[in-house]
Amino acid sequence: MSNIFSGINARLRGTSSKAGSARSPISPISDDGRLNTPGAVPRKSKSSANLSSSSASLSSRVLPLPASPALSQTISMTSTGDEILHSYRLPTPLPMWLNPAHAKHIVKGNFMTLSARPKSVDQGEWVAHQVVEHYRNLWNFVQVVYENEADGKSICTATTCPRMSAGPNHSYTWLNARFEPIELPAIEYIALMQRWISGKVDDTKMFPTDAAGISFSHHPNIANTALLSGPDEWVGKRSGFPKEFHSICQTIFLQMFRVYSHLYWAHFVEPFYHLNLEKQLNSCFSHFLLTATALDMLKPPALEPMQPLLDLWAANGTFPPESKAYEYANVKAGTRLLQLGGMS
Amino acid sequence: MNSFEFAAAPLRCPEAYGPNANLNQKRCYQLAQEFFKGGARRARERHGREQELIRRLEGPASQPMREQLWAYEGLSESKYLRFLRTKEELSNYTTIKTIGKGYFGEVKLVRKKQDGGVYALKRLVKTEMVSTGQLPRVRAERDAMAESESVWVVKLHTTFQDSTSLYLLMEFLPGGDLMGLLIKYQIFSEDITRFYAAEMIMAIEAIHSLGFVHRDIKPDNILLDQYGHIKLADFGLSKSSRKDHDSSYYRELLQRPGSSSQAPNRNSVNIDEISLTVSNRAQINTWRQCRRLMAHSTVGTPDYIAPELLAGQGYSFEIDWWSLGTIIYECLVGWAPFASDNPTDTYTKIINWPQTFFFPDDIRLHPTAINLIQSLIRNPEARLGRVAGAAELKAHPFFAGVDFTSLRRISAPFRPHLASDTDTSCFPVDELPQGEGFGNGGGGGGDGDRPPATAAGGGGGGEGGLVTPDMVLPFIGYTFKRFEKSFM
Ligand SMILES: Nc1ncnc2c1ncn2[C@@H]1O[C@H](COP(=O)(O)OP(=O)(O)O)[C@@H](O)[C@H]1O
Ligand SMILES: [Mg+2]
Repeated sequence: MSNIFSGINARLRGTSSKAGSARSPISPISDDGRLNTPGAVPRKSKSSANLSSSSASLSSRVLPLPASPALSQTISMTSTGDEILHSYRLPTPLPMWLNPAHAKHIVKGNFMTLSARPKSVDQGEWVAHQVVEHYRNLWNFVQVVYENEADGKSICTATTCPRMSAGPNHSYTWLNARFEPIELPAIEYIALMQRWISGKVDDTKMFPTDAAGISFSHHPNIANTALLSGPDEWVGKRSGFPKEFHSICQTIFLQMFRVYSHLYWAHFVEPFYHLNLEKQLNSCFSHFLLTATALDMLKPPALEPMQPLLDLWAANGTFPPESKAYEYANVKAGTRLLQLGGMS
Repeated sequence: MNSFEFAAAPLRCPEAYGPNANLNQKRCYQLAQEFFKGGARRARERHGREQELIRRLEGPASQPMREQLWAYEGLSESKYLRFLRTKEELSNYTTIKTIGKGYFGEVKLVRKKQDGGVYALKRLVKTEMVSTGQLPRVRAERDAMAESESVWVVKLHTTFQDSTSLYLLMEFLPGGDLMGLLIKYQIFSEDITRFYAAEMIMAIEAIHSLGFVHRDIKPDNILLDQYGHIKLADFGLSKSSRKDHDSSYYRELLQRPGSSSQAPNRNSVNIDEISLTVSNRAQINTWRQCRRLMAHSTVGTPDYIAPELLAGQGYSFEIDWWSLGTIIYECLVGWAPFASDNPTDTYTKIINWPQTFFFPDDIRLHPTAINLIQSLIRNPEARLGRVAGAAELKAHPFFAGVDFTSLRRISAPFRPHLASDTDTSCFPVDELPQGEGFGNGGGGGGDGDRPPATAAGGGGGGEGGLVTPDMVLPFIGYTFKRFEKSFM
């Protein structure tokens, strides 16, 4: 393991607008601005996806964030690490990937350096770049569980994973053409998802590649461009990205998150641990989480299935304190996990 | 509250998985590593550019100037980000002419459909690379060219691959190569030789400073730009100390020992014979024409290779200085010092160089020129450049008065007369098979619509469903995209 980021970390320290703000382990306000109230933990949250529809606006409309209250709502400021962990209703024993000994990385240093937008670059251009990079990374892991051996068998099958699940408390359904939720084997869900995402990423109307269409970001002190705001302004507009670009990207990040979640809950040991790939998976996923949260592409309710891993990575230093991912974590729970692993 | 416990870690058992899973494991392992290595490098470079921008914005620049700096930076970075996102494939280019052929590569002048840009595109066939044990060569070439920012090295814009081939997209150097000049002029004056020798010293120094030994310095690998200045090409044999430039590394990856054993080695010398003698001056050009054909054939010539490399002994940077010595000799004398009827004889002559090396009686050379050549064609321990590298050569009396720092600013002895940006009059295009596209194989490997097919090909993993994993695995990390400083 080498610190490949050395030399560029300095820039990121202290540049975050969040740095120094007081933070409690639990955000009392949910991200849509509602005041959180304690409530029962949902036994099972189901969210649906309908991506088979070719209409982008439609699919983004039918992909609401889970309606269930965020887990963090059930946790009060005074909860102990143990209480928080219990509130997650995790299986016993705890999944291996929550053991700090197995939550390590192939690189060290500040992952944020990879996702920090160059200030002169338009936000839309940067989001597009990140979508494509993370997409390439994720399918790299998917291929391991997806590809058939000579006998036609793959690792993730309808038998091993009859549902697109992320642990005992979360599963995702697909919406069919009549918007009815249907359960699909994980591998089918993932294949459909891949086809949908690559359809978007390869669509040059959605992700323009023509060098002629590029632009640059607005600089507050170098006011050579008027900063428009209002209903006719959207992320990436000045660089030729369509109006729905932002919501499509949110959907892509959300779906990629679900695939990662499935890989952790169902395949961390088989095959990734056995194949010595768990550190690679950890590094790619933590980089994914940092990027997606920093760009506001993923927000707490959706993060639920992987909340304890966020907590752990906040506590073990993977997520720098100025990051959104850290903000969304319950550091107390993470610290408790570190203790349980004998690492504190 | 009861306490928590973690699920116990099983004993790792990769054998429980099939061959495809294990190949995918290697692929995944490599790609993840490449992602962070490449990502960190790009982030570092991006950061450097941003710091530079900030520094200039804080300077005394006027408001319109500041606006321009800001816009320029944003546009350059964005252009690069789009370039990174765009899937490169052969069909993005139209072939204008085939301009070169070497042992493994075929080089074409191409035009990029999107913006009309003109480039040289070199193709290497994957199966040949694997079956002939040339994987490290591919890697070395890409790395040497990608890492260099030097004006003395042919600029690599991007690399990409499809199911059958690897491609290097380079700047097009319209002046042809030094071999072409030697064919045309047969012999150079000492002043002209001094110019090319001085430029070659700079070029070899540039590549050595990156940690690479070129190993294949010869006239057809020395290219000329539109002004007649040289740039080094063909890093196919260059070697650095990196482990992925080592054959055994790739054999391990493929777990197929022996796949490289029977390979026709580029430097092997006992292949079909080309019969000619260099006994008189009139025949030199015939010899050279054949030399060109030989460069196109799969034979290759050992003419410029140092004895310690041919003998399979240990070697280092100084082998490139030997090659330079043989080229300087050729420029002044008219043929390479160990030129023979066939490669085997050349090989034997080089190995026995103390007995076979001499200057012809009928050629008058200045003593400093003779001394320079003699101090390069020499045992490695005593060779010029051994101790202090290029500085030793620059200090040689033959180069007295040469300002090495301003070489590229002076007017080159031979400047190509070019009618257009696609003028190929400096290339032996008539001797090369012409035709749209590349000889065999080439063409896009279609992506299957299965999850693993990445949408945009990066990292070398985007091959279609028909590709066997061992056609993919060693080429991971091959893909490269250079940030262009000159935007617009
Ligand atoms: N960037 C380039 N611009 C112009 N001509 C080139 C370029 N690269 C290669 N060539 C021509 O193609 C020939 C073969 O290319 P090279 O890279 O040396 O391939 P090989 O490894 O097969 O020898 C060169 O000798 C030169 O004449
Ligand atoms: Mg060559």
